[in-house]
Parts: sequence; structure tokens; C-alpha cells
Amino acid sequence: MIRTIHVIHYAYKQAPWRIQRQWISSFLLIVLGLAMIAALYLDVSARAALTGRDIQDLSANIIAIQQSNADLETRIAELTSNQAMEKRAQALNYQPVQANQVQFIIVPGYIAPQPANLVAAPLLQPSAPTIRPEFTQSLLDWFDQRLRTPISVSTLGISQ
Amino acid sequence: MRAQYAWRSLALAGLLAFVGLSIILQMIRIQTSPEAETFRERVATHAVADTTYYPERGLIYDRNGHLLAGNKTVYEIDVELKNVKEPNALAKAVGTELGLNPDDLYNLMVKPPNNLPYIVIGHYVDEDKALALKQLTGQTDEQTPTSEQSSLSGLVFTPHPQRSYPEGALASNVIGFVSNDGHGYFGIEEKYNDLLAGTPIQVKVPVDPNKAADIPQIPNGTTLILTLNRDLQAATEQILDDSLTKYGAKSGTIVIMDPRNGEILAMASTPRMDLNQFLDYSAIYHNASEYNPAVSMPYEPGSVMKILTMAAALDNHTVTPATTFFDTGVYRIGGVTIRNWNGQAWGLQDMLGCIQNSLNVCMAWIASQMGSQNFYGYMNRFGIGHETGIDLADEAAGRLKVPGDTDWYPADLGTNAFGQGVAATPIQIMMAASAIANNSRMVIPHVLYAMVRDGRQFNVPAQYAGSPISTNTAQVLDQMLENSLQNEASLALIPNYKMAGKTGTAQIPVDGGYDPTLTNASFIGWGPVDDPRFMIYVWLEQPSTSIWGSETAAPVFAQAAQKAILLLDVPPDNIRSQVAMP
Repeated sequence: MIRTIHVIHYAYKQAPWRIQRQWISSFLLIVLGLAMIAALYLDVSARAALTGRDIQDLSANIIAIQQSNADLETRIAELTSNQAMEKRAQALNYQPVQANQVQFIIVPGYIAPQPANLVAAPLLQPSAPTIRPEFTQSLLDWFDQRLRTPISVSTLGISQ
Repeated sequence: MRAQYAWRSLALAGLLAFVGLSIILQMIRIQTSPEAETFRERVATHAVADTTYYPERGLIYDRNGHLLAGNKTVYEIDVELKNVKEPNALAKAVGTELGLNPDDLYNLMVKPPNNLPYIVIGHYVDEDKALALKQLTGQTDEQTPTSEQSSLSGLVFTPHPQRSYPEGALASNVIGFVSNDGHGYFGIEEKYNDLLAGTPIQVKVPVDPNKAADIPQIPNGTTLILTLNRDLQAATEQILDDSLTKYGAKSGTIVIMDPRNGEILAMASTPRMDLNQFLDYSAIYHNASEYNPAVSMPYEPGSVMKILTMAAALDNHTVTPATTFFDTGVYRIGGVTIRNWNGQAWGLQDMLGCIQNSLNVCMAWIASQMGSQNFYGYMNRFGIGHETGIDLADEAAGRLKVPGDTDWYPADLGTNAFGQGVAATPIQIMMAASAIANNSRMVIPHVLYAMVRDGRQFNVPAQYAGSPISTNTAQVLDQMLENSLQNEASLALIPNYKMAGKTGTAQIPVDGGYDPTLTNASFIGWGPVDDPRFMIYVWLEQPSTSIWGSETAAPVFAQAAQKAILLLDVPPDNIRSQVAMP
């Protein structure tokens, strides 16, 4: 009877090399999983960093273009300054008009020119964040944020 | 044999595991040790750098949108001495492009002061020059093998903004300037410095270049739109400059204001300076009050004050236009004898005659009839001796001595009545006179038309400083001043437009007395009388061709008024009356 049990036990017992291979496979599977996570982490972090740098470059470009615009506006103002325009008018044989040379006529509905209104387009919102968190936070930061963010009602599909 | 190897393997594995475990334990120990917190704090301190972002200084425009003050990029050019390969070549190249002495540059590079690692060869180099030099260094770099340093290596170009004034000296006395330290001086630049400069923002920027950080969007400084009309300002300055030459005056001031709302349309004075060359300030001006005499330099205005005396007397019912006065040519008050401008007696005069002939004797009599309390009460309400509140830096209050002051004497009542012994600025007289031109409403003069901030424009409303006289008094005196110009065929008159105004000729006080040969010639006038669009004040200091305001300041007023009519599109009286009719 006992011998029979031993035979059965032996028959179902796995070979040692088989167990070893299972352990090694499991270990390699874990290593592979970790490597994949690490690769993913590196990839996402690298892309986020690169995109962040690109955004910084673009922001710097915006500042440079704004400075360039300011330079150009000043340059245009220099070219159209009163003194420059007067010289140009004289070069084109224009002469200053005298009061007795002006004729006024009555134009019904005429509206005299109003002083300048310089607000043509809305400006950028001051201090509004321009870089989204996707480009600044790491994968761990993202996990951390997700863990700390309370589950919103709408996520559960309950809405009123 | 196999068991022996197994034992050895186990021992080796155990050893390695022990080492690995030890390393992990050591890492945990270090991470949780008391020193770890200190290291973390140090890292946190050095992981970010405090960076201050300065907003772009706000721009300044005239009322029609012409840029009067802007910003442009200039360069600081440094030489990093450790990177210089050929100082001689570098000195020659830089010297040629920037107009500097190459020998001086060479000596500076070879023997830097205090052994500095770098030298600054230009703080505010124009963009054109800097880019030309940069291009030259770039070309030299391209021609140099990559393994070697370029002969022009070592130059560092750092761009930064600088204030720029496209119109040069135009309205320099109103605008003021910004020094290299970014602070505004004089005029609008000083008065609104905080608004124009904006608010710098300090942020912590990660040192790690791979950590992206938001560059803050800093709102620029507030942009200002002035009430000035650039073209009228230029024409006024031209008229003033021509007048100084024509009448041999030492200096002068012309101010044009809209008497309905106090908007300053032009404010010209001499001397002026190119605001882009603000370092010339000390060579041009001897003290701050000379920068804008219209608001900063009180003087004895003379007979232009008579309109205020007459306004007070009419309003106080001391006189009416029909009141007569027999002028004997002298009037004694407080122990002092008052005489007329020509020293003669003018006989029987009504109040129009007193104003038209600018009789000092009559005015002293009127003031004495009013009494000092009434007279000074009115002068106080007209704002004489007080700042007007105009939004320009360095406004002076002038001086009006009143009974009770240690230096006031009864004779002052008589002399003050015709504008001597009292100091006022042109802008003060204009503010006071606006009550007459504007149906008794006295305006507060101002230069700011609107502010632009965060994409919104805020227009500045007109402000009034009460009504020192009644509407009826204002209208009666307005008519008297118009008639007086017409009757005397004043040189201030212009065809097809009715004007009101008054000349002023004041002797200049010197060492306790008055110099009879030196005068300040003035004129204040406005028009068209029925709907005043402009009020003009002319002040010529020490004219030499004639000492009289009627012969110098009055024709200057006429020239300025004609320009104002053209540039402000003011139709003649007959056309306006047609428009007014239904």
C-alpha cells in the first residue's frame, strides 16, 4: 500500500529541472514586465520633456516676436513721424494750407473723427497656464495625481 | 561532488544576497537618516532659481494714435576674455562696426580693469550696429575650421529693451523720459511711472533643463493715450520757435487747451531736448522747473490777471459793465502809488474801457472797492496759489500772498489786481479763465485721455473744479473780452472767427524792485466765443523787439489760433451758425 502511494507520488511529482524552469520563467516574466514599465516610463518622460522644451522654445519665440513687433512699431513711428512726413510732403511739393484756402461745406450726418481707440483685439489672459500637466508631470506624478483625485460623481455615471 | 558544488553555489548566492541586502538596507538607512532631510532641503534650494520677469513698459500715444513713446531692442555687447583668440583683430572689427577706438579696446582687452573676466564694450548698442557685428563674427566663424577658435571669438550679445521716442524732441516737456535704470523722469513718464512700468513677477524656475516650467504671461505696462494732438503740437512748437527768433525772446511757452473739458491739445515750451538723448538733460536745463515752465515755473503774469479781477468784481456786484471810473493816472493804496502802463491818465472809463485799455489804476480801484476778503476769496476759488491737479510731474502752486501772511501788505491788494506781486503758472491762469470761457464751469486741465490695460480701454472723464463765478458773469465778461479785442483791433484777431482774450505785460522783479526794461509778455484767449474749442496761452520771456504783450504775444496767439482752427477742423462762425440752425 505504502509503496503504491510512493509510486503515485513519484509519478505526479515534477522533475526538478521542470520546477527550476518554472521559477526562472516566472522570474524572467517579472523582469520583462518591469522592463516594459521602465521603458514605457522612459518613453513617456522623454517625450513629455521634449514637448515641454518645445513649448518653452515656442514661448521664447513668442517673446522674441513680441519684441520684434515692438521694434517694428517704433520703426514705423519713426518713419511716419511728424518731421519725416513733413519732409516727405515738401519733397512732393506739398505746401501747408492756409486758413483762407480752406472751404468748409455742410455735410448732413457728418461725424467728426473721434480720438483713438487702441483696443483692436483681446490680449492674452495674464498669467494663464499655457503648458498642460501632460507635458510637465511624470508617469509617477500622474499616478499620484490620479490616486489623490477623488472620484467624481459623473465618473460613476450618476448625473442629474 | 555535485553536492559539494551545490554548497559552493549556495554560499556564493548567499554572499551576493547579503551584499545586495546590505546595499538596500544602507540605501534605506541613508534615505531615512537625519542628514537626509538636510540634503533634501539643499537640493530643493538649488533645484529652482528665482527669476524676475519685467513687463514691457507701456506705450504712449497721442489722441490720434501716433506713437510718442515706444520700446526698441538694443544690445549689450561684452567680451569674454578667456574666449578671445586674437585681441587685435577683435578690437579692429569692433572698433570699425561700433565707431570705437581700436587701440583703447585692445588695451582694455589686454589689461582689463581689476582683472575682470569680461569687459562691457557697449550697453545700449543700436540693433543695426549690433546685428552687423554679429553677422561679421558669424562669417568669420564659418571660415574658421571647427577645431579652432575664430579670430573674432569672445563677443557676447545680450538683447534688452530700451525706451524710444520716435518723434525725438516733440512734446519732450510733456512726455518726460526714462533713464537707463528704467525710471521715468518728468512729465507723463514720471507721473504715470508705476502704471507704465507694470508689475514685475518673480517666479521659481527649475534649474533642471528637462523640467518644463511655465513662462508667466506678464501683462505689459499700461499703455497711455494722451490728449495731445501731435500735429498741433508740432505746429505750436514751430510757431513758438519762430516767435522767439522774431521777437528776440529768451524763452517761451504756448499751451492750447480745450476749455470745455480741460484736455491739453498742445503744450510747447523752450528749451526742448531730444528724448532719445536724455543724457543731455543737465547740459540743457539748469533746474527742474525749466523742464516744463507751463506747469512748473510760476511768474508774475501781469494784465492777464485783470480778467480774474474783473470777473470777481462783476460776480460780486461791485461793478457792472456800465460802471464808470474817472482815471486820473494814479491811485494810492497801502502807501504805494499805482500808475498805468503808459503813466498817463485815461479820463472817464467804463469797465469795458478799463479792460480794453488795460488800466492798472482802474483795477486797483476795483480791488479796493471789493475789499481784500472778497478779492482773495475769489482768487482762491479761481485756484490761484494752488496746484491745478494737472497730471504732469513737478507742478508748482505759485504764490498768492493773502492778508495774514507776514509778507502781505495792503498795497498788494492793488498790485495783485493787475497781476503783479502774485506768481502763477500759465496752466493756473488757463484753469481759472476756463470758468469764463465755459459758462462758469472751471475745468481741471489734464493730459491723459485714456488708459489701455488687459485689452480694455478706459477713457478718462473730464473733471471740474466748481464754478467760482455765476454763468451770467461768465457770459457778460466773455462778451466784454470779445468786444475789447474788436475795439482795439488787436493783433490777436483772426478773420471769420470771434475771439475773446487779454494781453499781459509784466515787469520782471529783480532784487526787491522791478526792471522796467525786462518784461514777460503774455496773452490768453479762446475761441470761437460762442462755442470755444480752444484756449491758448502765450508767454514770451523778455522779448527784445518790443516789451509789450499786445505787440508780441498777441500775434503769436493769432498764429496758434489759425493752426488750431485748421487742425481741429473748426468752421468759421457763419458756417457754424448755419449748422446750428435747424
